[in-house]
Amino acid sequence: MNQSNLPFSRQASSQFPFGSKGLLLGAGALMLYGLTRRSKSGLALATAGGVLAFRAAKPQSAPQNTRATFLVNTSPERAYVLWRDFQNLPRFMAHLKSVQVLEGNRSEWIAVGPMDREVRWTAEITGERPNELIAWRSLPGSDVETSGSVEFRRDPLDRGTYVTAEVRYRIPGGSATAALAGIFGKHPEFMVREALRRFKSLVEAGETPTISGQTHGPRGLHGRTEEVLFRETTNHPEPQAASGLPRIA
Amino acid sequence: MKAVCWMGKERIEVHDVPDPKILNPRDAIVRITTTCICGSDLHLYNGFVPTLEQGDILGHEFMGEVVEVGPGVNKDKISVGDRVVVPFTIACGECQSCKDQLWSLCDNTNPNAWLAEKLMGYSPSGLFGYTHMMGGYAGGQAQYARVPMADVGPIRIPDGIPDEKVVFLSDIFPTGYMGAENCNIRPGDTIAVWGCGPVGQFAIRSCFMFGAGRVIAIDRLPERLRMAEQAGAETLNFDDVDVVEALKDMTGNHGPDACMDAVGMEAWGHGVIFAMDRAKQMTRMQMDRPVVLRQAIMACKKGGTVSVPGVYASFIDKVPMGAFMNKGLTMKTGQTHMMRYMQPLLERIQAGEIDPSFVISHKLPLESAPGAYRMFRDKQDHCTKVVLKPWEQQQAA
Ligand SMILES: NC(=O)c1ccc[n+]([C@@H]2O[C@H](COP(=O)([O-])OP(=O)(O)OC[C@H]3O[C@@H](n4cnc5c(N)ncnc54)[C@H](O)[C@@H]3O)[C@@H](O)[C@H]2O)c1
Ligand SMILES: [Zn+2]
Ligand SMILES: [Zn+2]
Repeated sequence: MNQSNLPFSRQASSQFPFGSKGLLLGAGALMLYGLTRRSKSGLALATAGGVLAFRAAKPQSAPQNTRATFLVNTSPERAYVLWRDFQNLPRFMAHLKSVQVLEGNRSEWIAVGPMDREVRWTAEITGERPNELIAWRSLPGSDVETSGSVEFRRDPLDRGTYVTAEVRYRIPGGSATAALAGIFGKHPEFMVREALRRFKSLVEAGETPTISGQTHGPRGLHGRTEEVLFRETTNHPEPQAASGLPRIA
Repeated sequence: MKAVCWMGKERIEVHDVPDPKILNPRDAIVRITTTCICGSDLHLYNGFVPTLEQGDILGHEFMGEVVEVGPGVNKDKISVGDRVVVPFTIACGECQSCKDQLWSLCDNTNPNAWLAEKLMGYSPSGLFGYTHMMGGYAGGQAQYARVPMADVGPIRIPDGIPDEKVVFLSDIFPTGYMGAENCNIRPGDTIAVWGCGPVGQFAIRSCFMFGAGRVIAIDRLPERLRMAEQAGAETLNFDDVDVVEALKDMTGNHGPDACMDAVGMEAWGHGVIFAMDRAKQMTRMQMDRPVVLRQAIMACKKGGTVSVPGVYASFIDKVPMGAFMNKGLTMKTGQTHMMRYMQPLLERIQAGEIDPSFVISHKLPLESAPGAYRMFRDKQDHCTKVVLKPWEQQQAA
C-alpha cells in the first residue's frame, strides 16, 4: 500500500500514548470528566486536563491536518454516487444546513455555527473521476475560503471502500484554526472525521445515529453544562429522512 | 411518562418527562411492561462511569409492546402490537462488526463514538441508558422507550409466557451464557466463577449447559451462595478463605480450567492492595477495583482461559501480566453480543430447560426505584434482582 496515502504518517510522535491530537481531545475529556465530578479531586483533574490541553495545543500552529480515512462497507460506485449528489452532504456533515446544486459545476453551501450564525459559500467542482475522486473549492466572494476533496478506493482485500476526505479552510483576512473553530464551533479535524463517520453510517445503516431531541429528565445547571461538554446539543443534525437511501442488501 | 432519572452520584429520582418520539427512520417506540435494575446500573449509581448527564434516563433491561414504528423499519421483523424483549446493545445489522456477529461492537450506533474513541481507541456499539460515551440513549426504566434500529435487536415473544420468564433475555441471561461460552469449556472442565449476582447465577447454570463437570462459585452473601449451590455449584466465601489458595487445594494444585470474573469494577476484597484500590477509586485516580481480575489470573491453570463479563470502565493498576503471559492464558471479554443468544435462549426457556425468574427477589412499581437502587447496591433484604413495573401504582404507606 502506498504509505504516503496514509493520514497518520505525518503525525508528530509524542511521549503520551495518544498522539498530539488525541492528547488535546483526551485532555478535554479529562477536564470535562474532572468538572463533572463536583469535588476537590475533580477540580484537580480538570486542572490537570487544562495543563495537558495547553501542552498539546502549543505546537499546533503548524498547518492543520484535516484529512481522514474511513473504511466503508460498500462499493466505490455506490459511495461515489451518494457523495456526488451534493444535496446529500448535510445528511452527514453536521455543520451544514443545506447545499443547493446550481448551474454548471456550482453549488451554494450554507453552514451554521454557534448561535445559529450562517456561513455561506459558493463552490465549484474542480476535479472529478467517476467512482474515484471529487474535488471542489469555494469561489471568490464567499464567507470562507475552502477547498476539499474526497477519494474512493476499493479495498484490495475486498472489505469495502476506503473513503478519504480532505478539507482546507481559510478565513479571508483571518488566521487559522481558532477562528474556524469559532465559526463552526468545532475543530476542522473533528468535523472531517465526524463527516466520514456519519457517511459510513448513512451508507451502511441507512441513517446516522442520533439522540438529538430525545426525552430526558430535568437537566438543571449541571446537566446543561454536561450536555454541552458531551456535545449532545451541538453535535447532531436534525433527524435523518429515510428517502432515497436504500440499505445495503 | 414516568422515568427513572440519574440526578447525580447516588441520586436517583423518578420524574414526569415527555414521552419519547421517533427520531430516526428505523426507530420504534415500546410501551414498557417490565424493566429491571442491573449490576451495571450500580456502577452508574455509585458515580464510577464518566459521561452521564444529570437528568439522563437509566435502564437497559426491558420489554414491552411496540406502539409505533418509523418508516425505515423492516415490518417483517417488527411491527406495531408485537410483544418484544429489547436487548441492551443497539446494533445496525449492516456493518462489518454486525455481519461478524459482534453485535455489541456495531460501528454505526454510537452518536458519540468520538468520545469513546478517546478512551478506547475505537467505539463499541451504543447502549441504552449507559452514559454518553456509550451513545447517551435514554434508557428503559420508564413507561416508554425509543428503540433505534428496531428491526435488528428486539425479539418477538409469543403470548402465554409471563414477562418474568423472558425479560432477562434483555441482558443477564445472555451475558452469563456468553461468559460461559468464553470459558472454552470442554466436557468435565472445572470452572471458577467470581460473583454470584444475577450475572454469576446465569453464568453458573450456563457453564453446566456447556458441559462443565464442576463449577466453583465465589461470593460472600449467604443467600446468593445458596442460590449457586441450588444450581449444583460448590461455593467459597471470600470473607472466610484465601480464594486463590482454596482453588488450588480444591483442584489438586492444577487450577480451574477457566476463571470467570462476573463481578467487575466494584469488587470487594481484603488487604493492602485492596485498600489502595479503594483509595485510588475514591480520589478518581483509578475508576476500577480489579481485585477479582487479579485473583482470576493468579488462580487460573496454565494454558487456561479468563472470561470477563464483569464491566470495567477505564485503567487498572497491578494486573499480574507476568503471570498472564508466562502461564499462557487467554482472556475473553466484551459487552454481550446479544443478538447471537436471544433466540436460542428463548427456545431453551420455552422448552422448560430453565426458568430465569428464579433470580427475582423484588417486584416493585417504578416509583420505588430510588430505594430499590440503594437496597440492591447494599444487598439489603436478600436482594438479588429487582424487577420494576412501570404501570403499577405505589402502595399507599
Ligand atoms: N458484559 C456485559 O455485557 C454485562 C452485562 C450485564 C452486567 N455486567 C456486569 O456483570 C457484573 C455483575 O453484575 P450483577 O448484576 O450480577 O451485579 P451484582 O452487584 O448483583 O453482583 C456482584 C456480586 O459480586 C460479589 N463480589 C464482590 N466482590 C467480590 C469478590 N472479591 N469475589 C467474589 N465475589 C465478589 C458481590 O457480593 C455480588 O454478589 C457487573 O460488573 C455488571 O456490570 C456485564
Ligand atoms: Zn444489565
Ligand atoms: Zn452494525
